[in-house]
Amino acid sequence: MSGPTIRRGGVGSTSSGTFVLDAEFVLRWVVEAAARIDEQRDFLTQLDAAIGDADHGVNMQRGFTAAVATVQSSSDRSPGSLLEEVGKTLIYRVGGAAGPLYGTGFRQIGVTISEAVTPDGEVLLSALRAGLGGIQALGAAAAGDKTMVDAWEPAVAAFQRTLEAGGETEEAARNAAEAANAGVEATLPLQARKGRASYLGSRSIGHQDPGATSTAIIFGALERALRRRP
Amino acid sequence: MTALFAAGDRRGTIQSVDRAARILRVLGSSPRLGVTEISDRLGIAKATVHGLLRTLEQQELVEQDADNGKYRLGAAMLQLGNSFLDNHELRARSLMWAGSLATRVGEAVRVGVMNGETVLIVHHVFRPDNSVQILEVGASIPWHACALGKAVVAFDPPSRRNALLGANLSPLTGRTQTDPSVLRTELEDVATLGVAVEDQEAVVGEAEIASPVFDHRGDPAGAIGVVGPVERLLPDGPSPELIAAVREAGRGLSRDMGAGRFAARD
Repeated sequence: MSGPTIRRGGVGSTSSGTFVLDAEFVLRWVVEAAARIDEQRDFLTQLDAAIGDADHGVNMQRGFTAAVATVQSSSDRSPGSLLEEVGKTLIYRVGGAAGPLYGTGFRQIGVTISEAVTPDGEVLLSALRAGLGGIQALGAAAAGDKTMVDAWEPAVAAFQRTLEAGGETEEAARNAAEAANAGVEATLPLQARKGRASYLGSRSIGHQDPGATSTAIIFGALERALRRRP
Repeated sequence: MTALFAAGDRRGTIQSVDRAARILRVLGSSPRLGVTEISDRLGIAKATVHGLLRTLEQQELVEQDADNGKYRLGAAMLQLGNSFLDNHELRARSLMWAGSLATRVGEAVRVGVMNGETVLIVHHVFRPDNSVQILEVGASIPWHACALGKAVVAFDPPSRRNALLGANLSPLTGRTQTDPSVLRTELEDVATLGVAVEDQEAVVGEAEIASPVFDHRGDPAGAIGVVGPVERLLPDGPSPELIAAVREAGRGLSRDMGAGRFAARD
């Protein structure tokens, strides 16, 4: 337990020092993500149809449905190894480019948490940053290339800024989700520089990136998973 | 975006034609644009843009939306694009070969030609599984990131190959080969094997196996290749059946292009 902190949240909120990164949290995050992807499936597919294969929504739904089943059926109670399992499931079940990218992202998140002694908000931040690193290593994408990095990178930055300013993990996740959404909006006027959309030329301009959009959904789910704590 | 719509080299060219061409390109990048937006994006005075648009409209190269007065590309552009494809010898001759290759292997097939440092896709047969796919005809892929490009460049004259290896080799994924010396060795292997393989070098999760196509002079005219999910195309490297199918399509298409037995690298 950490020492006394200024509590900016309401009753029941905790500082990043006492945030519990456990198997229950992993389940809440993945269930939230799957539920929100279910809702947004057609929207994601519609975004993808403009510059991709029109399968992003369906692929993500299949992958996250499988990820929920993986977490629910696992007897493993270690949050790190559960998230590594989620990553493996996403690689095989999402398919396309999103499968390997999200799969690597979640595996890196899991590995980082597995290595931590006491998983707290700081560890979650490191894990999210490692996830971004895995995605960037695989896709060679930087911010502004019109990919999921355009949502993931500002989300990690906002998470970090909040913790550095003494904010709680919940607040950090809320700011991260907001930053991810703003990142998605910012992809609209861009021309894709990575992925299939990049060589289809300027057709991508004026379209919101489906990968950045699903990343924002995942960060939205993270915020909700942290908010809805028993 | 700026490079795409930048003014061309002015020497020996007509400025108004250059500007009209840039207007067409900027309209190709957006669903609809108004005169002011075009003027802002290209840095050309509104009155000039207006005059050029009216001229292009008379030629049906652009259309004006009756509701909001904004412009978009006109129907004549489609006719011009189709004429380009119809008059393209490799594309015309590839239709049958590409179709039968796609049926044989159950994956998508693309035919491409070199256009500067990129491969221009001139024909694309969808994966025959009724799934929604996006037509890639007209796509422009950096040569070093796709099997089609490597298949052609491996058989290019050394001077051309060296020039391409010395040019920009930026990554499209973490697996794109950007080291010219490694790429050179890979091209030597392609020349020996007769097929080029690409493993997620253009798009994460996607692979391609391509064979060069030769013309009547024995020069590489382009390439034909199978493209699809990496786990299906390269489960354990490319299967001998897949290589054989791609190679046969390349040889058959080369023969149809007038390549002799020697030139077709039989």
